[in-house]
Amino acid sequence: MTRELKYVGKPIARADAVDKVTGAAQYTHDLCLHGMLHTALVLSPHASARIVSIDIEKAEQVQGVRAVLTGNGLCYQLGLYLQDKCILARDIVRYHGEPVVAIAADTLDIANAACRLVEVQYEALPSLLDPRDAMEESAHLVHPDLHTYNYMKGVFFPKAHSNIAHHQKIRKGDFDRAFEKADIRLTASFYNPPVQHVPMETHAAVAQALPGNRIEIWTSSQSPYTVRHLLSVCFGLPHADVRVHVPYVGGGFGGKAGLGLEPLAYVLSRAAGGRPVKVVATREQEFNTLPSRQGLHSTIEIATSNDGKIVALKSTYIWDAGAYADYGVNIGRSAAYSGAGPYSIDNCWIDSYVVYTNKVFGTAFRGFGHLEVLWGIERAMDLMARKLGMDPVEFRKRNLLKEGDTTITGEAFTSGHGNPQQCLEAVAEAIEWRTPSAPPIEPHKVRGKGIAMLHKAPAMPTSTSCAVVIKLDEDGGADVLVSGVDYGQGTYTVLRQIAAEELRIPIEKVHITWECDTAFSPYDWQTVASRFAYMGGNAIIEAAADCLDQIRFVAAQALDVAPEDLECEHGTVYPKGHPDRGIPYSQLALGYTFENGNSIGGPIIGHGRFIAKGLTHLDPDTGQGLPAQFWTYGAHSVEVEVDTETGEIEILNIVSALDAGKVLNPKLCVGQVVGGVVQGLGSALWEGFVFDEKGRLLNPAFVDYKIPTAKDIPHRTQQILLENPQPGGPYGARGVAEHPMISIPSAIGNALYDALGIEFTTLPLNYERILTRIREKAESS
Amino acid sequence: MLGNFEYKRIRSIEEGCQYLAEAAGDGAVLAGGTDLLVEIRNGLKSPQLLVDCKGLDVLNVFSVDDSRSTIGASVALNQLIEHRVFRTTHPALADALASIGTYQLRNRATLVGNICNASPAADAAPVLLVLDAVVEVAGVEGPRTVPVRSFFAGVKKTTLKPDEIVTAIALPARSGLRTAFRKQQRIRGHDLAVVNAAGAYSPAKKVLKLAIGSCAPTPVLLDPIEVDSKDNEAFADHVIETVLRAVSPISDVRASAGYRNAVLPILVKRILHELLFEGSGA
Amino acid sequence: MYDIRFTVNGQPEHATVPATMTLLDLLRDRLALTGTKEGCGIGECGACTVLLDGKPITSCLMLAVEADGHDIETIEGEAVGGGLSVLQQAFIDTGAIQCGFCTPGMIMSARGLLNRTPDPSDENIVEAIAGNLCRCTGYEAIIAAVRLAADRLAGAKQGRGQS
Repeated sequence: MTRELKYVGKPIARADAVDKVTGAAQYTHDLCLHGMLHTALVLSPHASARIVSIDIEKAEQVQGVRAVLTGNGLCYQLGLYLQDKCILARDIVRYHGEPVVAIAADTLDIANAACRLVEVQYEALPSLLDPRDAMEESAHLVHPDLHTYNYMKGVFFPKAHSNIAHHQKIRKGDFDRAFEKADIRLTASFYNPPVQHVPMETHAAVAQALPGNRIEIWTSSQSPYTVRHLLSVCFGLPHADVRVHVPYVGGGFGGKAGLGLEPLAYVLSRAAGGRPVKVVATREQEFNTLPSRQGLHSTIEIATSNDGKIVALKSTYIWDAGAYADYGVNIGRSAAYSGAGPYSIDNCWIDSYVVYTNKVFGTAFRGFGHLEVLWGIERAMDLMARKLGMDPVEFRKRNLLKEGDTTITGEAFTSGHGNPQQCLEAVAEAIEWRTPSAPPIEPHKVRGKGIAMLHKAPAMPTSTSCAVVIKLDEDGGADVLVSGVDYGQGTYTVLRQIAAEELRIPIEKVHITWECDTAFSPYDWQTVASRFAYMGGNAIIEAAADCLDQIRFVAAQALDVAPEDLECEHGTVYPKGHPDRGIPYSQLALGYTFENGNSIGGPIIGHGRFIAKGLTHLDPDTGQGLPAQFWTYGAHSVEVEVDTETGEIEILNIVSALDAGKVLNPKLCVGQVVGGVVQGLGSALWEGFVFDEKGRLLNPAFVDYKIPTAKDIPHRTQQILLENPQPGGPYGARGVAEHPMISIPSAIGNALYDALGIEFTTLPLNYERILTRIREKAESS
Repeated sequence: MLGNFEYKRIRSIEEGCQYLAEAAGDGAVLAGGTDLLVEIRNGLKSPQLLVDCKGLDVLNVFSVDDSRSTIGASVALNQLIEHRVFRTTHPALADALASIGTYQLRNRATLVGNICNASPAADAAPVLLVLDAVVEVAGVEGPRTVPVRSFFAGVKKTTLKPDEIVTAIALPARSGLRTAFRKQQRIRGHDLAVVNAAGAYSPAKKVLKLAIGSCAPTPVLLDPIEVDSKDNEAFADHVIETVLRAVSPISDVRASAGYRNAVLPILVKRILHELLFEGSGA
Repeated sequence: MYDIRFTVNGQPEHATVPATMTLLDLLRDRLALTGTKEGCGIGECGACTVLLDGKPITSCLMLAVEADGHDIETIEGEAVGGGLSVLQQAFIDTGAIQCGFCTPGMIMSARGLLNRTPDPSDENIVEAIAGNLCRCTGYEAIIAAVRLAADRLAGAKQGRGQS
């Protein structure tokens, strides 16, 4: 008999809501420690230059300046996957906005004033702005010492003496032969510009160098344990001597994964005699100093039979990593093993190159390369459908992965993967795919519909793990300790639901400690990849079971009943069928005391853990292997309206279907979908870095980098959440947080073809680009 | 903290002019501050003295009627936009003001500030130009008036002297004018104009005035155009040709010259449509 | 330095501030009212929205010295009598919060709207909050929250009228 769920699957309100609506939630931005210093940075005005000299003498003499640091003397190489990053530029600057000097002072004003007194002389070098140029043999090297860097061996393949930080290959079947023999062939190229995450809280960190080479950090980060690990590796310290706190985090979207400002804050504190040092990125620095999403040049070749079966697909992905590729390499890898879309393709060839250029560097961003790759793939699918004279939905249906197919890395597709076909059908039906758009009233406007598929799996090391601790309180409540970070997704609320469900106590009695603290909270790799609810959820289930085992063990002695004959409900343990003979958890949480005063048991602390299961490294030559703990599939359909005189585009409707496996909290899940869709809309229509010919970023502020406002959302959105359970997922759930953003640009691009008969290949689809293409078309016809 | 300056809240306009005269070009008038404080923060301006005129009741008032409207220098945009009589008397100006910045910003920003900032993209400027607005100015040497068409001297430059304070904008009698404002942004949310334009049409005199923003170093007022209502399309083509001859848009991070040149005729056409071809406008 | 007197959330305050200090810094650094956030420093994102004499403004673009003689309201004044305001509860109920960094400014913008327009249209709501950037929610739930708060407040008023 399945027990009816009380909390899981219910629209429970956020655990953190009251703190956030009252302004009580404390973010790293809000943190103030006694004696804390503030930091200002001198940034490189060049995209590429040799540092000839740095004169910090005048700055050091300013009253209130406590530390002035340059890259000299900071001979550290940092990185998670590829240690290519330094704390401050050494000898050369590799991007416009790279920090060259950091000054910690009593106030931010003093630090800023001192920065203006620093004199840096540069010798400008030619800058590499296009990764395709950077791949040329003759290109200058952004990292001449790449061959000496440490990196995760067997997973990444930096090419010595080149600008290629990683080359991921996927080889399945015989592409050349299949392509040659195919009935219909198509080649198309696409481009995504670099964009920014734009968390509302910019990056911030406070660090204190403590006596005995210990470090204490407070940071706006997705990755408390990864920050701890990388700092301990970098500075050669025992892990326990690095303590990382993560208070409330004002948005991350991938940009706060791995290391950020923490090492800089630490070396400043060390130089300032152990005073705590705060580093807060200005909004401009968030754009041009901290990492962004990589740009991508894609070329896609598809071949099909006359009846619309894809027989071969080849993609070349050239990622614009920018000046550092520590995180970018993993995007190049992950987007390659997903790089043919959710389709069954027997003959596949993918080359994914992560290439250094002289631009602000890339990192993880919600979707982890998939929005970029699927911009090309899902546009190409529509192009191919037209070439075949097939309906784009029919064409996709014919090729979507089905039970019995294998993915491009050789993974067998099963019913446990979820159902991409159902997602496609759901969004097609909801948008009334077969019915053309109603003509708009105004004669200069046109409408169109588009559709696109999406998929993604968590991109993480094969050994990724996490742990959860549950402490039972004397009132029968539970304290849950985790080190995944809830920076808005709602995972803590979901974990709380699962804990209440599993411990059989009211949800009000489950408390999740909000601030992560590596001194107390158990290990979690980092909060990325839409994996926290999945892995944390499983760990919570195990931790709760551990608590219940302990409860039953003690209660068995108290009640003189075998543990297996006890059951738990409503915070009480009792012999099966005799709830009246129960003992409340509150009498067991710290140990049970008999009437005569004798006591047994002791504080109940449950422990649960989860480690990725069965993943393998990919074969270096073929990319074959099992990279994915689970896949999440989905689809979007959109209807757009275009003003053909100004190029303005309006989104009338976006329908999203995702196979969530199990919706753990519909309110939060819908929140993730709507938020992701609108963030995807930003990438589709407005967002993108603009550089001048020297590589200077021209739009590092909200004045000229526009993200959607409340006036820019679709007239309507619809969310369809499917529940084909994930084997091994908590209650059958799989991750969904990143996915809604993926393929929003592709669906809109496809709808623009329907509306205008124009094939767009470059993002963003801003008014100017749309109008330019409309006029080109008018002139050529 | 922003820059390094002194702050004076003045008790009279004369006192303000005196302070500005003493600052000899290093002073700035602080009204809403929504442009000035950003420029100070970004290091684009570094005045030594800010003269805050918002304490003066005389600058905090506006009067609107059919014969003449006067808008004091401290009147916030939302006071005007949310004023029913102002909105019906000056609908195009209200539209232009409502397109500036965010709601919060419009609770601080002022009409006078919008033109004193002298951005080529100032949204109020084209409307004020076609309405023949007059800038009322006080200085050490006494008050004077400047027609808005003589007010802008270049990008972020006006014809004001260092000691002068704009006290108000005066709008002459409407005398049956129909007016319209159009703005092209990059996004529906708050944005600077890629191109903006305003038109005023006098059905009695059969004369059309047009002004264009964001397409030259200053907002551009075209010579009055005699309206020939026989052939709307030919007239529109003629007007658009005249407009394109009068402007010199550049390419920048906001838009290419090509896009500005492509959108400007559309805005003009839509203005003509509203003012001339669609029966009676407001 | 300038001596200023003003009220914050109804409480009289007195401060001595330099000319160059923003109202935002005064609130956060001197008065420890850190519910008001800085998201951009140039009035584009709305995270620092507070009410000045009942009207929403961006406190990063106002000097502290300009607050002399005025009434300021911040998110810390929104909860009433130890409980949440109708507006705050509505934000929770519609799922209008994710990371929460924009939430205080968003609520202050909504508060300003409900002060001047107790029964706002959706267009009024969008206009009122369009100056508050949110990167998480996609705004739909926020618009719904303001609508819900207005409806609940209207319902409560009606209820009182009938009793």
